[in-house]
Amino acid sequence: MKLRLYVVDGAPNSVLAIANLAALCKKNLQLSFKLEIIDVLKFPRRALADGVLVTPHLAKLSPAPVARIVGNLSDSGSVRLALGITT
Amino acid sequence: MQAGEVDAVIDAAHGNVFLLAGAKRALSEAGGEPANGLLAALPGRDYLRLLGEFELVALASGQVLYQPGERIGHVYFPNDAVVSLMVVLELKALQVGLVGPEGMVGVPLALGAERASVRAMVQGAGMALRMKAASFREQLEHCIALQRELQRYAYVTLLQARQTAGCSLFHQVEERLAYWLLMAHDRMRAGSQKITHELLADMLGVRRVGVTNAASNLQRRGLIKYHRGDVRVLDRKGLEAAACSCYRTVKALTG
Repeated sequence: MKLRLYVVDGAPNSVLAIANLAALCKKNLQLSFKLEIIDVLKFPRRALADGVLVTPHLAKLSPAPVARIVGNLSDSGSVRLALGITT
Repeated sequence: MQAGEVDAVIDAAHGNVFLLAGAKRALSEAGGEPANGLLAALPGRDYLRLLGEFELVALASGQVLYQPGERIGHVYFPNDAVVSLMVVLELKALQVGLVGPEGMVGVPLALGAERASVRAMVQGAGMALRMKAASFREQLEHCIALQRELQRYAYVTLLQARQTAGCSLFHQVEERLAYWLLMAHDRMRAGSQKITHELLADMLGVRRVGVTNAASNLQRRGLIKYHRGDVRVLDRKGLEAAACSCYRTVKALTG
């Protein structure tokens, strides 16, 4: 699964989103995750080009269907649903 | 997503990034007012010296920081996370303490012990400042104000645990549930708490069905709303009246 997480490095919700996502990946080791983290303060154009308007913002790029989740990813049920993780 | 979960907004026309208040506060943190009560009570000079040893970490709900008997690797000063301390006996658990922004996880280290005697599990996700055990011991040796604060806090945790021993034996499940929900409500910034049935049962050391009945009763009385592991306190005064006397006792003793 290819994921991209847009954050503000060091900001509370972004740090929380990274921790929540790491916990989710750890719990689902049978899936292979490829995660890229982008700090929008360093790369604002990149975020803009990808249509990101708020952070934290998680984009699932593959497999289809693509999905986007905004927020600190604390609601693990909704995150799993959006990413299509059923196990 | 709930309100408050966003750090920054990007202006699509110009590509400018606007930080929201919480993110700004965190990023300009050094020298700012500490969110944790124990750290806020220290003289500014001492706090700044400690800051160099801290790292800001996010604690996810359900994350276990220590198990009983484990060597304590870090101490945690929650900014807005809430951590449950549980005694574990033959696979069963009982909550004996709750640590939020008023306290610290890892008190045994301050008292000269190296290993945890309880399970420390994150109940409310949030941020905390953490410090390695070795650095903490070194800092504690040189900081009289921190020693004093932690002695006072260790006494508070002792009182909580003593009260829980009596409470678990003599009080009914419903009033004990109200007590712990109030304790958690005092420590949480968010309006609602995510607590699964399983965690509630562990907190109270009872079976899940007992928790279901108690939570349903509190809900029927209009004191809380409990839906899919989401607990919201609707009537704080009413919940205080429904709780056992332990809530008032602990409050009065600990200030």
